[in-house]
This record gives sequence, C-alpha cells and structure tokens, in this order.
Amino acid sequence: MLKVQNLTKKFAGKDALKGVSFEVKRGEIYGLLGHNGAGKSTTLGVILGMVAAGSGEVMIDGVSVQKDPRKALRKVGAIFESPAFYDYLSGWENLRVLVGLSGPFDARVAKEIVERVGLSDRIHSKVGAYSHGMRQRLALAQALLPEPEILLLDEPTDGLDPEGIKWFRDFVLGLREERGMTVLFNSHLLSEVEQMCDRVSIIRAGELVYEGAVNDLRDDRPGIRLTATPPEILAEVVGRFEAEVMPGGRWVFPEETRIAEVVTALVNAGAEVSEVTPVRRSLEDVYLEYSSQSQP
Amino acid sequence: MMFLPQLRGELHKLFARKRTYIGYVVFLVFEALLLTLWVQVGRDQFEALAKRNFVPVDLLSSSLTATYWIMGFSMFLLGSIYFALVAGDIVAKETEDGNMRMVLSRPVSRLRILVLKYCAVIIYTITFVIFVGVTGYSMAVFAMGSEGGLFIWNPDMQILAIYPDRDEAFWRLFLGACLMGVSMCVVSSLGFFFSCLKIKPAAASVMALSVFFIDFVLQNIPFLVNYKHVFITYRMGNWVYVLQEQIPWARITESYSILMGLNITLFTIGWMAFQSRDFKT
Repeated sequence: MLKVQNLTKKFAGKDALKGVSFEVKRGEIYGLLGHNGAGKSTTLGVILGMVAAGSGEVMIDGVSVQKDPRKALRKVGAIFESPAFYDYLSGWENLRVLVGLSGPFDARVAKEIVERVGLSDRIHSKVGAYSHGMRQRLALAQALLPEPEILLLDEPTDGLDPEGIKWFRDFVLGLREERGMTVLFNSHLLSEVEQMCDRVSIIRAGELVYEGAVNDLRDDRPGIRLTATPPEILAEVVGRFEAEVMPGGRWVFPEETRIAEVVTALVNAGAEVSEVTPVRRSLEDVYLEYSSQSQP
Repeated sequence: MMFLPQLRGELHKLFARKRTYIGYVVFLVFEALLLTLWVQVGRDQFEALAKRNFVPVDLLSSSLTATYWIMGFSMFLLGSIYFALVAGDIVAKETEDGNMRMVLSRPVSRLRILVLKYCAVIIYTITFVIFVGVTGYSMAVFAMGSEGGLFIWNPDMQILAIYPDRDEAFWRLFLGACLMGVSMCVVSSLGFFFSCLKIKPAAASVMALSVFFIDFVLQNIPFLVNYKHVFITYRMGNWVYVLQEQIPWARITESYSILMGLNITLFTIGWMAFQSRDFKT
C-alpha cells in the first residue's frame, strides 16, 4: 500500500534522511519510532509531498507522490501532532473548507463521521473553544473524509489524557477491523506502538536502524540479570562465556550457552551468586538500545 | 468544476476573520469625518473659491465631488495598508499557524491553493474599493443632497474637468472607481508575493507597503519627473484619466497592461517560491 524507497533529504547541508526505505502492507498498522529530530516527521512530510526529497520515491498504492501527488494523496488521510484548524470557524465549517479542497463535500457522510468521532454536540461551536482532545477528534474526522485507504498519524496522541489516548487507540484499531484501514503511526510513545502496531521501524539520525514485527523486536535478544560478588569474578567468568553486557545490567549470552553452566562456573570460582533472573526486554529497552548514539 | 466551491471556502475563511473588517470600519469613520469637516468647515471656502473662478458652487461642493475626494485622496495612502495587511496574511499566516500543513495534506496542488488565495485577495481588493465608493457617495448624498455635478482638479496628473451633467459625472466616477480597484490589486499582489516567501505575515505586509511607499516617494521627487512613467504608483494613478474630458484610452490601456503584467509576474514568482518550499513543523 505504501512503499518508501531510499529517501534522502538534507536541511542546510545536514543529512535529515539517509536512504530511508520501508513498506507498509495493506491493512497493516506500522509504527515509525524515533527520538525527536530523528527524521520521523521529515519522512511523513516527504510521504505527503510537503517536503521535497533529495532522492528516492514514495509510492502510495502504486502511484508516485513525487510524480503525481494529487492522485497519490487521494487515498490518504493525515493527522498531525497539534492539528491547526481555523479557530474562528466552527468545526463543521473547518470540515467543509478542508474537505472541499479534495472534492465535493457530502454533508450526510460528514455527519456520520462527526457522530462516529463523538463531536456531534460541539461541531457547530468555534474551534477556538475546543480542547486538545476535541481538536484531535476533528482532525480524525477530516482525515476520514472522504474515504481514505491509508491514515498517516504523526504523533496523534501527544498531549491527550489517558482516556483520550485509549479512545484514539480503540478508534484506529476499529478502523482497521472494519475497513481494513492501513495506518502509518509515527510516535515516540512506545506503549502506544506496542499496543497498536504490527510492525515497527526505528529511525535514528535519519537512518532506519531496525525494521521488523513488534513481537520480534521485544524478544530478539533475551538476557539474564546476574548479580554476584565479587564483581571481578563475575566479569571474568561471563567474559569466558563471551557474554555481552547490555544496559540495565543485563547479560546476553551466545544462543548455545546453558545458564546453569555459567552459575556453576561462578560458584566454582568462589563467587557468591545472589540473583539469576531471565530478562525479557520491553520494547522500551530495545528502542533505547537502537535509538541511542552507540551502535546497536 | 470544484473551483467555485473552493473559492467560496477561501472567501468564507477570509471574511470570517474580524481583522478583515478593520479597513471597512476605518473607512466608514474616515468618510463620516471628512464629510462632517466638508460641511462644517469647507463649504464656505468652496463657495468663495467658486465665486472667484466663476464656477457654480454646486459643482465644487457636491456629493460626487466629495466622493472623488474621498476615493482619490485616501485610497492610496489608507487603503493600501489594508490591502497589504490582508494579502500579506493570506499565505504566511496559514503557514505560521500550521493550517497550511492541513491544507497540503489534502490532494490539491499548491498552484490551485495559491490561485484560490490570490482570487480571494483580488475580490477583497476590488469589493473594498467599490464599498468605499458606494458608502462615500451614500454618506455624501445624505450630507449634501444628490444634486450637483463633478469638479476635478488634479495638478499632478494635469487634469481639470467639469461635469455639470450628474449622470455623466456619476458613470465616469464609477468607471474610475473600477479602474482604481484594478490599480490597488498591485498592492495586494505585492503583499501576496511576500506572503508566499518564508517570512512572517507582518513582515510580508511591511515589505509590501515599503515597496509601495518607496515607489510613491520616488515618483514624487521633482528631479525624477521625467521618469514618472517607470514608477508603479504613477501607473496606478492613471485611473483618474477616465475623468478627463477626452479619455486617453491608449495611455490607460498601456498603464493597465503594465500593471497586469506586474501582477502576473508577482504571482508567478510567489508561486515558484511557494512551490519550492518544504513544510514542516
């Protein structure tokens, strides 16, 4: 549905994107993770044709955004972190103006969507009086009009309260369930990505450093938390087993290593072992490893 | 086919904003003030002037002559501020507020967005000038009655004309107002052009006014009198020639062709700048 091929972009001579490529399949919810300034929003900007790529191409359902942006974007609905509406117009007028840019405004369909996002009571109020949550619902309504096949969400739950986040998550998951909606979800809220996405990419300094299923990401390098004294013996013994120390005092051993052998070796070497805990990394651990400055 | 509903949307945005109406309110106040002063202070002087020059007093002090004064002497200096303000805002304010990202995420070309905005600005400009003409004339009729012709004396453009016939005077003034509206589109085009660049809305308005006033000042410098024809504001002032007894259509056509060319150039460069911009948070 969405194919991003080898995107590059420079801002003021500095690389913002360095050959970013990924693919989002139809009906998939795909997360794009990264620190602030990592290149997530630039990637989204290129996908939406708002930012000109230095090189590379974005295809939406087989249509190139660079060659025919109007046709490519017909199937896209987008939501940004802080949706900026015309505050002096009502929600309904905003929808009419924005949706009218892409085609005829169908009031009946718009009313249905407004009801669906739970804004019926306030849709004729000025947007200036809306809360952040209401703006986000209005943004969702405009993104869903007329009938997109892919939603691009740029940190949509930032600033929402827990109730709002849950509502948003359930709504997006519901859209996938009912309509088979494809979603590209750009966020640094790991819990959201973990709960919503099928696959995820991690972008760091304009480079894609990881791509895979969320479950694979969580489990790809399980480790052991080992506590023993004195620390010199611990370091010497685990070194013998070619273990690698990871953040949080977690040791990752080669796949064939039996932990019982490690513990026996520690005891034989005179160490006092106080903790041996298998550690299954959270997405946050993995994310921090991949997105930190050192190489993963 | 979608152009007209989209233009209606753009006009709705423009006219739903309170600041769009500042110019209308200021001009209404200005017209009321000028006409009050005209009636209270100026009438005696006009009568004395008429007697000295053997001109009927109802030519010098008539509702049509007052309307000419209101439009001719205030639009350039006062009206230009509001045209620059509205046109300077039209793209830059949406970019600054983040609305432009929402707009650009829709399947619509940047050229279409700019054409819609430019049309909205041009409609605002022309209707504003007509509004000033209509309200100025209505208030003048209220203050002095509808009788009397039109007396034109414009030393800068070397025009002296008298129209005792009210109907002819009315239509010439109406035609003049329409041409003035077209002239003022240049200020709006300047504001629009700067608005397309990566600058703040206030900066776009200030830049447009700076260019306009610099041109105006240069045009009025005595030693540049032989080069008047190269200045935009001189060409913009050519609307007044429809009030000359023998209308110099060739001169008017030349000036308005130049102004149209300038408008198209400003739009095109603005579009090119807008097209090449990246829109990010």
